[in-house]
Amino acid sequence: MSVLKVNICGVEFKNPVITASGTFGYGLEYARFIDISKLGGISVKGISYNEVRGNPMPRIMETTSGMLNAIGLQNVGVHKFLKEKLPLLRKYDTRVIVNFWGKTIEEYVQVAEILDNADIDMLEMNISCPNVKEGGIAFGSDPSMTAKVVSECRKAIRNKPLLVKLSPNVTDIKPFAKACEDSGADGISAINTLLGMAVNIHTRKPYISNVTGGLSGPAIKPVAVRMVHEVSKVVKIPIVGMGGIIRWEDAAEFFLVGASAVQVGTANFVDPELTLKIVDGLEKYAKSQGLSNISELTGKVDLSK
Amino acid sequence: MKGIILKNERLNDKYRLMEIESPEFAQTAKPGQFVMVKTGLQDYLADPLLRRPFGVVDVRGNTFRLLYMLVGKGTRLMTESPAGSVIEFSSSLGNGFKSVKNQNIALAAGGVGIAPLLWIAKLLKDDGCRVTLYFGGRNQEDIILADEFRPHIDKLIITTDDGSIGEKALVTAPFEKDAAGFDRVYACGPKRMLQAVSEICVKGGVPVDVSLDERMACGMGACLGCIIYVREGEETVQKRCCVEGPVFDGSKVVWESVCR
Repeated sequence: MSVLKVNICGVEFKNPVITASGTFGYGLEYARFIDISKLGGISVKGISYNEVRGNPMPRIMETTSGMLNAIGLQNVGVHKFLKEKLPLLRKYDTRVIVNFWGKTIEEYVQVAEILDNADIDMLEMNISCPNVKEGGIAFGSDPSMTAKVVSECRKAIRNKPLLVKLSPNVTDIKPFAKACEDSGADGISAINTLLGMAVNIHTRKPYISNVTGGLSGPAIKPVAVRMVHEVSKVVKIPIVGMGGIIRWEDAAEFFLVGASAVQVGTANFVDPELTLKIVDGLEKYAKSQGLSNISELTGKVDLSK
Repeated sequence: MKGIILKNERLNDKYRLMEIESPEFAQTAKPGQFVMVKTGLQDYLADPLLRRPFGVVDVRGNTFRLLYMLVGKGTRLMTESPAGSVIEFSSSLGNGFKSVKNQNIALAAGGVGIAPLLWIAKLLKDDGCRVTLYFGGRNQEDIILADEFRPHIDKLIITTDDGSIGEKALVTAPFEKDAAGFDRVYACGPKRMLQAVSEICVKGGVPVDVSLDERMACGMGACLGCIIYVREGEETVQKRCCVEGPVFDGSKVVWESVCR
């Protein structure tokens, strides 16, 4: 399957299909249902320094071709993750990306330092979760804050490549991507969920307790494709594209607008086997297009009139 | 996992019963478990997007049955699946009911909550238990599968809100009168009914297992959308309805977090 082998920020992936953070638990949840060693990589649930119990219920709601969630970055904390989850996940032949976040810059740095010395392949900084009051979105909605948190973490991370996951909930995503590149990010992942809301017309109450939530699924794909295209125009570092990918054709679109790999999120909930079907579909497509490697597709969208 | 639909039978305007052939699932399933059914029934149909959880009614040879209530677009699409068509589902999800021997058991069901109780009723009866079923609904339309229970239970008490069949009462009314005489209770139905049943059981010192339902995206423990709060000693802990449930000790559930 060498046609699908990609190198992202110096790390070789057997294929460019990675499961997105927050949609694949710690990987182990799915190991019962699919061969997770066939995946290019797994981006695990966003890790913080301390354990976080998340938002009150209800936390999810299905919308037209998508879903809203306000889980609230629930996770077991970095120490428990390294002790109880990572050793089990490491038994599988797939790359491990650890998504991480903090409530303050200091906390981002604290978690980053610990993960930098752990047996993982890459870090993914989450500055874009719309569901927590502190941290998260605050760092992802002001370019100067983005630059600050990325550069501070960059100083702390010496051994691993650093991806920064961008928020779509901004007027213009380009300054944020540029701020990441200029502050030392090795790559960009885009996009996180779009801020949304759904209301029950009978009770007149929002469906989820947090009132608003992050919208994901096929409904957001055109927005994500547009944003990855915009980001690719302003940075030279690799982009991992995501947002509503449910078929291999969706993944191919992201490559064409500038992605070097893709993450698949909500599709994991729809069908745990979809990621593997995307891997197969991309391989057949690459061969049918006469490509020697899928990366030849990156940025090859034809914008001529 | 895939199965072949053998029957997709209309029970009335509100409920349907689907029989699916799947030796792989039928041989491993346990009473009280559930499956997540792909409701789109076409490859990659994105609306409705998510699979839907359904309790397994029973397993017979290589087949299993699902009872479903027509609620929205997903279940409407299920009605359009004819016999002979293929259906996709994720299985075997969750922990089920544990059977006991030679005890006096009550089953308490509300509406579509009857679904996971038939199989456990059969096992309990086979294991020497005396089984009483309390079955409540809004009206006669909700009282489904009752005849299938009769060979596996000793007593059937039906209640409806409008009195169209059985006693005009909530199911908890007759149950409360008898509760203290049971060794164990298994219940499934609306959350407020399960809360009431659990409170009656706690008061009478009767162990109670409830099968809960929460909105869930994956059914596999990854999305964390289906959290149930449960008391463990002095602590309140989080459990995933899909993995650690759907059956919980009703005396330990934090009902104010479940009945929102």
